[in-house]
Amino acid sequence: MAHPHPAHTHPHHSDHQHGKPLIRFEHASFLYPHGPALEDITLEIADGEFLGIIGPNGSGKTTLLRAILGLMPPSQGSLRIFDCACQELRCHHRAMIGYVPQKRSVDPYFPITVHEAVMMGRAGVIGLWRRTGRQDREIAHHALEDVGMAEYEDHPLGALSGGQQQRVFIARALAQHPQILLLDEPTTGIDTTTQHTVMELIQRLHEDLHLTIVLVSHDINLIAPLAERLALLKTRLYAVGTAREILRKDILAQVYGPQILTTDQGHVIVADHHHD
Amino acid sequence: MVDFLTLGFLQRAIVAAALTGGLCSAIGVFVVLRGLAFIGAGTAHAAFAGVALAYLIGAPPMPLALVFGLGTAWITGLLEERGRMKLDVSIGIFYTATMALAILFIGMMKTYNAEVYGYLFGSILSVTSEELQMTGALAFLVVGLLGFFSKEFFFLAFDQEMAEASGVPARRFFFLLLTLIAITVVVSLKIVGAILVFALLLIPPATAYQLTSSLRRMMLYAVSIGVLVSIAGVLLSFQFDLPTGPAIVLLATGVFFLAVAFSPKHRPKPALS
Ligand SMILES: Nc1ncnc2c1ncn2[C@@H]1O[C@H](COP(=O)(O)OP(=O)(O)O)[C@@H](O)[C@H]1O
Ligand SMILES: [Mg+2]
Repeated sequence: MAHPHPAHTHPHHSDHQHGKPLIRFEHASFLYPHGPALEDITLEIADGEFLGIIGPNGSGKTTLLRAILGLMPPSQGSLRIFDCACQELRCHHRAMIGYVPQKRSVDPYFPITVHEAVMMGRAGVIGLWRRTGRQDREIAHHALEDVGMAEYEDHPLGALSGGQQQRVFIARALAQHPQILLLDEPTTGIDTTTQHTVMELIQRLHEDLHLTIVLVSHDINLIAPLAERLALLKTRLYAVGTAREILRKDILAQVYGPQILTTDQGHVIVADHHHD
Repeated sequence: MVDFLTLGFLQRAIVAAALTGGLCSAIGVFVVLRGLAFIGAGTAHAAFAGVALAYLIGAPPMPLALVFGLGTAWITGLLEERGRMKLDVSIGIFYTATMALAILFIGMMKTYNAEVYGYLFGSILSVTSEELQMTGALAFLVVGLLGFFSKEFFFLAFDQEMAEASGVPARRFFFLLLTLIAITVVVSLKIVGAILVFALLLIPPATAYQLTSSLRRMMLYAVSIGVLVSIAGVLLSFQFDLPTGPAIVLLATGVFFLAVAFSPKHRPKPALS
């Protein structure tokens, strides 16, 4: 195995008792027209695990999720999703991956109710030739109950707060009955109290529904207590391991620079911390 | 009024107006939500260039209008996908190029041809039964596809990448949508004209957008407004001897501003930006 850097922690080092690998990157690189977004990624994501992806802005975290969704075939190396290459990935495979994208500016006046937004999660699952029916409406309702938003079913989506919208998008992903849930910075732009509500919700989904979770965040301290493994990313994968293994000054400094501080409580302080 | 309705050409005009008004409004919902307004304009003018070429070389106008309209819609769709150019720039270039082509073709004609101008401004009162049948058939096809795949089209309009990621073949539906827009524009060309078809694509959906926070209701409102305003426009223009296209569009615009004024969204800004 080619290690990009000496401090690279072996991906299989931490022994977690999880199922077969669902996602397998092998020396995979991903290109945007301007240049490489991810290089030489080797990573396995096992059934039932909770993987946190950390790294500074622009380090390719969103790109990694887009790759898992099969939206970006690798330019080099290989990526197997449910043991399929991206090109063979069928719609029903995609429907098995729930995706909560990084919050973009959602038009607050876009005419869509909470119920309609969650029902979109059923579109890919039931396929082109079937129309949504009573069963789908019940699934959507249950998904809203799972995130504690059932009472808002008929509200306009745009009228909700950022944290509530985020929970609706999580419900939309859950309505797919996915095997894997990908969340991209789910707590960005939400107040601190709600941030913890959302993180608790994600933890609960992981434990109760045995969902495989891949959570992206640039907020190391929020994600570290929950994720079973952390992956440290900056175009390359610098380290993969447990929080204890990764949250060390010498490892984090490779990505965040020498200004990084780690406290005795395991807190990380990034000096040039910037939000997008 | 009863006398009016016994007139064959007026009956046909009313049916034609209701069909195009409903059709344009239905597809217009996705045009407005997906932010494709300029594709509507570009396609309409390209289709008109196709009509002008058809009259120049003596070919039937509809097929050439469809070729030009589809070509423009697909090429701009590809450009949008690649993200190479900002969409308004690429559409702007097509818009002027196809308009220049249309003027060129008209200029090359040996004689003045009033029929060509009918496609620019519309000639609803001279719609024939055959044209009406074709319009009806195509409207049925377009609205049928929109209805059958409504969950896919709504998802696409909400967030195309999310749709693709959750297992909807969103890219194919995007191009199907562009195709249906082109068909709609070409079908409506003879009836309301290249300039006003654009207004019918945008104004009823933009009005409905002001009135509801639900996708399905926006569709319902838009189609109702489109049909009613078009029928009312025909009757008004007949009663007061006004040109039909402008009557429909100005009526629709009036309804739009009423909707803005009374919008529960309390937003004194149109949906299109
Ligand atoms: N659609 C895109 N087209 C071209 N370049 C992109 C695109 N999205 C992201 N990039 C570039 O790829 C790199 C990684 O981006 P991203 O995956 O969004 O990082 P992160 O989510 O960690 O902030 C950045 O340099 C960004 O500018
Ligand atoms: Mg990102």
